[in-house]
Amino acid sequence: MANEPPGVIGKGIAIRGNLSGEGDLIIEGTVEGEIALKNHLTIEETGVVRADIKAERLTIRGEMSGNIEASDRVAIQTNAQVTSDIKAPVVVIEDGARFKGKVDMDVELPDGIL
Amino acid sequence: MANVIGKSIVIDGEISGDEDLVVQGTVKGRIMLKESLLVESSGTVEADIQTQNVEISGAVTGDIQATSKVEIKADGRVVGNIKAPRILIADGAKFKGNVDMDR
Repeated sequence: MANEPPGVIGKGIAIRGNLSGEGDLIIEGTVEGEIALKNHLTIEETGVVRADIKAERLTIRGEMSGNIEASDRVAIQTNAQVTSDIKAPVVVIEDGARFKGKVDMDVELPDGIL
Repeated sequence: MANVIGKSIVIDGEISGDEDLVVQGTVKGRIMLKESLLVESSGTVEADIQTQNVEISGAVTGDIQATSKVEIKADGRVVGNIKAPRILIADGAKFKGNVDMDR
């Protein structure tokens, strides 16, 4: 799977419904519904996603709303606009990104904090 | 860049747009495109299709309406009704359904 080129949902394409599968996927268009992907999902700057997302890795450069569950990491990059509750071991929010929602990294804080 | 629904991707729902689309995976539901749809040999489409051109090397179940051309290639398998001004069925293709070429 790793050497297969990523799938691309281009700018002019809109999907409404459920999207699932393996392999990397890049979204430049619009997706509404649910996404379950085994590997790496990238939402590009032109991408608009209103969906609950389950993936291994998620990189967001566009607009996204919905819940996120990632088994590896979520990266919200500059210019991204995200409204979401995120559950992932690693969540990175870059300078310039806009984010609203909850983050759950399942971290055990040392005693004395909270 | 071509839009590719890869081999291991399954979409259940509606796809619409004004760019070409290549299906190598599975799409169930409905596809509405302004341009061309290409169903490759690994592709499975269980959907009604409305587009300009369709080229099928994979399996399609559903009604197809094209404003220009529908082409079922030698390894294509189609069950459904086709309505288009130009319809091509290659030697070796499997097809079951109605053909309507009324312009």
